Amino acid sequence: MRKKHLKAGERGLTLLAALALLLYLVFLVLPLLLSLRSSFTNENPLKATNDFVGFANYTEMASDDALKASLTFTLILAFGVTVAANALGVGFAMLLNRTSLSYRVMRTLAFLPQVLSGVIVGFVWQTILTQNGLLNTALLKVGILDEPYPWLGSPHAALFSIGLVVTWVMSGFTTVVYLAALQSIPLELNDMASLDGVRGTQRFRKITWPMLAPGTTISVTISLITVLKLYDIITVLTGGGPANSTQSTALYIVKLAFTSDRVGYASAVAMLLLAISAVVALVVTGALRRREVSL
Amino acid sequence: MLAAAAVTLVFVAPIYLMLVNAFKPQDKILANPVSLPWPPTLDNLKEALTRPDNLIPLGLRNSLIVAVISVALIIPLGSAFSFYIARRSGKAKAAILLALSAGLMIPPQVTLLPTIRILTWIGLDHSYPGLILANLGGGYLSFAVFVYVGFMRSVPDEIIQAARLDGASGLRIWWQIVMPLVRPATATVAIFLTLWIWNDFLNPLFILGPLQGQTITTGLYLTIGQYSVDYGQLFGIMFLAGVLPVIGYLTVQKQFVAGLTSGATK
Repeated sequence: MRKKHLKAGERGLTLLAALALLLYLVFLVLPLLLSLRSSFTNENPLKATNDFVGFANYTEMASDDALKASLTFTLILAFGVTVAANALGVGFAMLLNRTSLSYRVMRTLAFLPQVLSGVIVGFVWQTILTQNGLLNTALLKVGILDEPYPWLGSPHAALFSIGLVVTWVMSGFTTVVYLAALQSIPLELNDMASLDGVRGTQRFRKITWPMLAPGTTISVTISLITVLKLYDIITVLTGGGPANSTQSTALYIVKLAFTSDRVGYASAVAMLLLAISAVVALVVTGALRRREVSL
Repeated sequence: MLAAAAVTLVFVAPIYLMLVNAFKPQDKILANPVSLPWPPTLDNLKEALTRPDNLIPLGLRNSLIVAVISVALIIPLGSAFSFYIARRSGKAKAAILLALSAGLMIPPQVTLLPTIRILTWIGLDHSYPGLILANLGGGYLSFAVFVYVGFMRSVPDEIIQAARLDGASGLRIWWQIVMPLVRPATATVAIFLTLWIWNDFLNPLFILGPLQGQTITTGLYLTIGQYSVDYGQLFGIMFLAGVLPVIGYLTVQKQFVAGLTSGATK
């Protein structure tokens, strides 16, 4: 009797684990394979075509200017935001690294942007940055501007504005990560440095920055990957405009698939984005890990 | 202190705008968007809550249902799976873990279309069960397993062996002995997944489709465009849509940061 019960219990756990594996296979591995297969076809739900076209989609990418523009925008945004958010994160973490109550409250508040959905973040900033938005209204009233500045209305300003908003969101995350890394630095190390007369920028360069290395690895990698697949904030802020100048690759894929119905080609671009994310993640993580060891 | 306060102000300013302007009439918002809402008006919130399309109450309800059911199912699935592979060794385990952590990295745009096609095959496209099912198998499960495996490894083998000698089955050991030991992992998984699924945009937008009801994020996106000039209405809706995650975060803020940093400094 007891043995039977035992067996049922054993099977129950295996069953749960198998169910998890099945879900993972059906909703992550299978879609990935289907997407890969689709990238070699001219699939189009409107024309009901689904023929193999070999590498045609991949060769088409080479001459697709919209794709090139989207990749340039995405990479500039990803690297720009990553550098800015991590520099700010280190700075903010050092400013907020005290244990008194007021500092704990400030740390809590600094993380707030992370909690809101990208859609809300996008809309809040849109009310601020749009042509007759709160920022222009204020700047006109104070007399800094004579006419409204197109924060989201010209290609360069829009890139800058989106970078600003995404940096604002990511900095809360990087700050918390660097705070944790700062708190893991042994106190003796700082005491010894003080005794040796190492302080200021030298102390930061020789002690703090190297000791932050594990935090840097995780924070840089997550910033890069987050921005590479970013969809909601850009969609709400500019929808890819003006003139497609802020159309990230993630937006371009969705547009190809759902607006242009070019599912096959969209899948090929998706594979490219996946490859870029994988390479960036592996190369950057690898380099930063090696740096952790050598420091 | 001053510098730290200035930094905090930068983070909070847009959220401050959302908060104060939700309680101000349109003319006061335009006159001075940063002023305190005095006397405060509840008209914006009332109007947002009594819209004929029921955007806010329906959206909040739908988001809550999707998030709660998804998380309630991902936790046992992810933790049982983690327990199962954490006790095994060798190449198979390493391969499965590698595949799962890759799942954390895959951009959702890559899997979105095939996922909708698979849901169509099983007759669950454009439905809430379909959305929940897609949540269960995607990157969220990867995240849960990723967190759980780390914690499961630190459960001493002796405890499990002893329970086994007492005749406890694998299912009982997992549920009654291991799960209480990895409670911090469960907290981390529950908090982050609830937030991410609540805030998710791409999946509900395309898996549900506009005709099948909306979560709070997609409802917000599809409706709010009408209010490009009515700031009072805009801020009222945004306040109601954003207030729950903020309250939730402030309530569990300690576990939130702990979860984030334990993952970040491991």
